[in-house]
Amino acid sequence: MKTISTAAKCLILASLASSAITANAQDKFRVCADPLHPPYSTKEQTGYENKIAALFAEQSGQELEYTWLPERIGFIRNTLKAENDNGEGFKCDIVMGVPAGYDLTDTTKPYFHSTYVMLIAKGRGWNDIKESAQLANLPLDKQEKLKIAMFDRGPGTEWLQKNGLLEYGVPYQSMTGDNEHNIAMQIEQDLRAGKIDMVILWGPMAGYVQSQNSKNGYIAIPMQSSPDMKFDFSIAMGIRQGDNKRKQQLNELIDKNLDKIQAIITSYGIPVLPIPKQAIKEDDD
Amino acid sequence: MKKPVKNWLLASTVATLLAAPTVSTANDDLEKLTQNPANWASWGGDYAGTRYSKLSQINAQNVKNLQPAWSFSTGVLRGHEGGPLVVNGVLFIHTPFPNTVYAIDQKTKAVIWEFTPTMDADVTIPVMCCDTVNRGLAYGDGKIFLQQSDTVLTALDAKTGKRVWSVQNGDPKLGMTNTNAPLVVKDKVITGISGGEFGVRGFLAAYNIRTGQLEWKGYSMGPDKDTLLKPGKSTTWQDGKVTPVGQDSGTSTWKGDQWKIGGGTTWGWYSYDPKLNLVYYGSGNPSTWNPVQRPGDNKWSMSLWARDADTGEVKWVYQMTPHDEWDYDGINETVLVDQEVKGKQHKTIVHFDRNGFGYTLDRETGELLVAEKFDKSVNWATHVDLKSGRPEVVPEFSTEHHGEDVNTVGTCPAALGSKNQQPVSYSPQTGLFYISGNHLCMEYEPFEVSYTAGQPYVGATLSMMPAGADVLTGKKDGTTNLGQFTAYDAKTGKIAWSNKEQFSVWSGSVATAGGVVFYGTLEGYLKAVDAKTGKELYKFKTPSGIIGNVNTWEFEGKQYVGVLSGIGGWAGIGIAAGLDDGSSSTNSEGLGAVGAYRSLSSYTKLGGTLTVFALPSSN
Repeated sequence: MKTISTAAKCLILASLASSAITANAQDKFRVCADPLHPPYSTKEQTGYENKIAALFAEQSGQELEYTWLPERIGFIRNTLKAENDNGEGFKCDIVMGVPAGYDLTDTTKPYFHSTYVMLIAKGRGWNDIKESAQLANLPLDKQEKLKIAMFDRGPGTEWLQKNGLLEYGVPYQSMTGDNEHNIAMQIEQDLRAGKIDMVILWGPMAGYVQSQNSKNGYIAIPMQSSPDMKFDFSIAMGIRQGDNKRKQQLNELIDKNLDKIQAIITSYGIPVLPIPKQAIKEDDD
Repeated sequence: MKKPVKNWLLASTVATLLAAPTVSTANDDLEKLTQNPANWASWGGDYAGTRYSKLSQINAQNVKNLQPAWSFSTGVLRGHEGGPLVVNGVLFIHTPFPNTVYAIDQKTKAVIWEFTPTMDADVTIPVMCCDTVNRGLAYGDGKIFLQQSDTVLTALDAKTGKRVWSVQNGDPKLGMTNTNAPLVVKDKVITGISGGEFGVRGFLAAYNIRTGQLEWKGYSMGPDKDTLLKPGKSTTWQDGKVTPVGQDSGTSTWKGDQWKIGGGTTWGWYSYDPKLNLVYYGSGNPSTWNPVQRPGDNKWSMSLWARDADTGEVKWVYQMTPHDEWDYDGINETVLVDQEVKGKQHKTIVHFDRNGFGYTLDRETGELLVAEKFDKSVNWATHVDLKSGRPEVVPEFSTEHHGEDVNTVGTCPAALGSKNQQPVSYSPQTGLFYISGNHLCMEYEPFEVSYTAGQPYVGATLSMMPAGADVLTGKKDGTTNLGQFTAYDAKTGKIAWSNKEQFSVWSGSVATAGGVVFYGTLEGYLKAVDAKTGKELYKFKTPSGIIGNVNTWEFEGKQYVGVLSGIGGWAGIGIAAGLDDGSSSTNSEGLGAVGAYRSLSSYTKLGGTLTVFALPSSN
């Protein structure tokens, strides 16, 4: 390598900079994903993140490759940031969905924005609920009949707490060790079975629950953020800190495909909001 | 799956060395074994968990001549916690996942048998929060007990390694795993559960030593039938006296059904007093992640427990950190020693908590006797009020008091505690406890967006930094060491001496009648210090960082000291990850803890090895 001339080096660098996408073409498009996490990803590649990954890989002429691991505590550490067993390189390079500004990874520009949704099963005595605030103002005897999911973390639980409804929550784990159901599947099952009547769920998961019911069986009320409670988030892709070339490649692909991405996501019944400018700016630092 | 023994002749000779379990209960058997210092038959050396050995061949004068005598690779990477057991001459070691057990003949250093359970890695590993550690084995009734990562508790024939029985102790699908060493008590095996990060409700369970049948199970929270608290009979320390608990105290300080995902897991060490017939241990942090979202004391998370060994019924319980906001998980070991406190002889229980306080209680009654900081940099509470038993929390270091939208800076200790799971040792010669400690503080930055299994939310980031203060006085001194090895008098709550260590001390210590205390360091040194003064007398660099416990025993007239090295665990991934999240702001700090921890990888690499030390034969 010592023999390479400075001029040649500059030439290589220049060509890399001018065309990041083609420069990476010989690499595979390597995604870290959960094998059973509808509607995000599945091993059969039926999730919306799988579809976006396939679109991006195709456009960059790269072969799509997956490293599968359940998305729980330690996911980033054991996939994106885990070195291969032979000590060369990392297991995978891209996590298709993380919140914009996520601190465990570097993030691309956001590619969609969604919100938590209150889902209420119809026909269980709650058909008159049109906005979330109504729940907080119910007479006590009615509140006591609430069967609302309460996670061990997240804004839904915060909302229950601030509205004095923690007492009526049905406890749920935000993550389990279940390798046959993810949380969205569990919630969908329990709503159907009447174990719970309602839940405050992140948009994509709410979309999944609704999509499993052909009879339009849910009232869906988008939750409104307030200065002290945030329900809406921008979603970006996660890459390793310092993997700037890939970040640039992904940002270009996102810019080019925003409409297509939007179409994929909405086809899953996921509520989509305009991406706030602020989220984009924050991410540029 | 048991592997075939290669040398049957060897196996049968060694098998005859093992005592036949003819004694009426495993209890007597194990007690007798632990009274002979040639053995190291339980994680704590004895039921009391003192980790003290009466052996004195290696002493403060000759320990400088110590040499590695032999070593053995476990063949497994990742963090090696716990330590070797030695029973009637046979040495037993264990590994992190896949939890292989080796029985080793000390004469030939050959493997008598090995056992690797069949576990589904795809189910188990993703549920293990903090590396795939295991804290070791238990012996009793001629069996070796292995608490597998996948929650299966397995009994092996100590002579052959053949499985006698297995029982499912928890459900990995609910986020349950196991990392603890079991404890054999009478005709039962006691074990706990891990998985607080997943919302698992902790419990202590006792299984029949011969059949594996569940005998009792006591939860950390829930109605009385779950906790095995007897209202009016079980007690707690309150208003300056031993006070009976009321009805359903395990649900009354929670909102609604939150106790069902209450946490309070039990992944530490358990000890036992045969005369009082009580089992002692600590329960972990409450598991709803944001303290604001779980109003109340969240009883009985963060508590010390005394349970009847036969029935599991609670004799007494004491909550150290009500409504935890700092992740000061209360699972650390409980040591049972008899001491004179304030002019009166007590059967005491001594516990050094993650929250930085050393607690001395009467173990018969649960009376709180002493609660003092064993690292004076601790600042989240000014003191523990001995009357109420509650910590006096400093609002400045309370994230909740401070408001969720404000940075909380300089809270000491950091979430990993002034001391983590690595057990202390106690020397009756000096009357001192020897504490392997951390010396870090933390900063809480709100408004960081978090993401759990597909759901985003506004969370917070914890970053850790060196305490930068004197252990004995708490005065800021700009030091950058992350570990301390401290000698503490639990009768008075006074620190006798403390040595600085560059990195957190993540290895359990052992104290001996030779006046020496041994412990390991994260860089991989086995160290011997003078029990009276703390003066370093010997060190040797083992192949990897030490997060295992140092144990000692005798074989053919010679005293041996052994330790598993193999970096990993929270020390290997968690601390490093917490300090260095790779973001540019953290990187730019560059100095102090961040730089120091990053440099750990230049001292040591992964790999499990048992190293055994002895004095040279000429000595």
